[in-house]
Amino acid sequence: MRGLPTYLLASLVLAGLVYAHGFNSYWMHVTIIAMFYAILAASWTLLSGYAGLYSLGHMAFASIGAYTSALLIQWTGMPTILGMASGVVFCTVVGAWIGWVCLRMTGPYLAIFTLAFSEIVRIVFSTEDEVTQGMAGLHTVFLFHTDSRIPYFYTAIGLLVFSLAVMGFIVHSRWGLFLRSIREEEQAAAASGVRVAYFRILVFAVASGFAALAGVFYGHYLGILTPSLGSLDLMIIVVVMAVIGGMERIPTAVGGAIGIEFLQEYLRAYGEWRLVIFGLVLLFTMRFARNGLLTPLWLQFVRLGEVRRPVSAAAQAAAAAGEVGPQGSGGS
Amino acid sequence: MDYSYLAIQATNGAVIGVIYALVAVGVTLIFSILKIVNFAHGDLYMLGGYTAYYLITLAGFPPLGALVGSMAAVFAFGILIERTMLTPLYSPRTERKDEYGIIVTFGLAFFLRNTALIVFGPFALKPPSFAPGVLRIGALAVTNDRVFVAVVGTLLILALLYFMNRTIWGQALDAVSQSRDSAAIVGINAGRFNSLAYAVGAALAAAAGALIAPIFSLSPDMGILPNINSYVIVILGGMGSVGGSIAAGFLLGEAQALFTAFLPDPTRALSYSNAFGVLVLMIVLMVRPTGLFGRRHVRME
Repeated sequence: MRGLPTYLLASLVLAGLVYAHGFNSYWMHVTIIAMFYAILAASWTLLSGYAGLYSLGHMAFASIGAYTSALLIQWTGMPTILGMASGVVFCTVVGAWIGWVCLRMTGPYLAIFTLAFSEIVRIVFSTEDEVTQGMAGLHTVFLFHTDSRIPYFYTAIGLLVFSLAVMGFIVHSRWGLFLRSIREEEQAAAASGVRVAYFRILVFAVASGFAALAGVFYGHYLGILTPSLGSLDLMIIVVVMAVIGGMERIPTAVGGAIGIEFLQEYLRAYGEWRLVIFGLVLLFTMRFARNGLLTPLWLQFVRLGEVRRPVSAAAQAAAAAGEVGPQGSGGS
Repeated sequence: MDYSYLAIQATNGAVIGVIYALVAVGVTLIFSILKIVNFAHGDLYMLGGYTAYYLITLAGFPPLGALVGSMAAVFAFGILIERTMLTPLYSPRTERKDEYGIIVTFGLAFFLRNTALIVFGPFALKPPSFAPGVLRIGALAVTNDRVFVAVVGTLLILALLYFMNRTIWGQALDAVSQSRDSAAIVGINAGRFNSLAYAVGAALAAAAGALIAPIFSLSPDMGILPNINSYVIVILGGMGSVGGSIAAGFLLGEAQALFTAFLPDPTRALSYSNAFGVLVLMIVLMVRPTGLFGRRHVRME
């Protein structure tokens, strides 16, 4: 049956939507936060896994977006949706600017540069406490005026599906191919006619926009914002999620984000040890299974409907699947 | 502006500069041999501070002995990390080594910091000082601890310079950093020097952590700022240039101290003095991506 994995996933999401009122408030909160991380992990994967740009400043964009939206609404009294949209647009522009500034940097230089950028953002947000309330926290307008979490839950699912649809479209189009060619060898890509500068700026802008989308939603969901949204600790959690899931495909990164967030709640009894365990799992994943722990499962899942077909068709399908995702690079 | 206040700030800046230089020299050394930026360097610094603290309080070491002991312990730990985690960097089968180096060391930092939070606790600890008392020169008063830090730190840096430039092992390290293959042809076992470089860098960070502990106190996240500052220094001084990072270390220490002295609002000055260094880093990276005094042959691909 063709497209079986798609139907399975869609029915899973539908079941979640229909039975949403059956979840208790606590697990619904966990699910919403898991989707927040999923958007972040997916957009970070677009930037690092596909384009090979290892940004450590991804959370800074989430933070800038959230603060922009909260402060604009506070100052001008504009509608919440408009504030959120302007936060996202502003971050896309800042992301494009950062992408342009670090065009000449690669690998560790880019990582250090973005790390520096995120530190500056965090320091400014926590020092200028007359404007941002610093570590005391800035109160934001709630997105919905209700005590129920169900509207937030639907919004989070909607945002996640929208983000995945856009990023999936980019990744599966020619643009995705260009991005991966830039990751593999920038000069060879340029020699083959890929506009390297254009695509590097573009992917930075898109990824920052989605990071801001997640951040903006988070700010107006919790009702309070602190500079720690842009901290390195949160950045590293997103990296842990994407790497453990598998950072060369967006679905595995999303799976990693949702899985880790639920594990984090499930293992709450272990307190601080959870982070140590995740750190260890990250190190082992990098050392022994660099494609991520979920990648083999995902590949099996994608091929679900294709097992019993004639050889020629199966070969074609395999070739198509091979085009979709980078085949196990680095998996020694 | 009070003249003696400036003098005190300048002295403090020099002391911090020595510490920065010790941390940054390790980052540079590891970069020039292993071709990775060690994002876990600040956590080795933290580990060195705690090891010295427990050697003094639990094992009853004298402060100087604890300094040496913590350097030795973290040296061994560095070899362990390098052997277990970083060997894929030398394997021809590993693709995209930059990426591997970034994520593994970043993950290592996360792991070490959270382990420290559990094992050592979140509260700030303060070991006994190396040399109690205050040194007075005219109007200038400096605690003996700071003098001690400056002297021992400078001695360590001089020892490293001697090691790098005058001994056969140092020459071999330089050879490996210039060309791994040519070094192998003249009979240098590059694998062994990878371990050595990482361990020496780790030991220097540990020394810095142990030295700074009586002045500032110990906490699991004490390594974050020196770590970022060491990147500022390494970028300023040029990736892979030991002399450049020593000079840039002093420069950054002084610049931050005087920046704090000249900014009128003291609380803001304190938090922005870090942002100032980071801003310098960003500007240098934008203008000259290899750093101000970068040697051409160690430029990353």
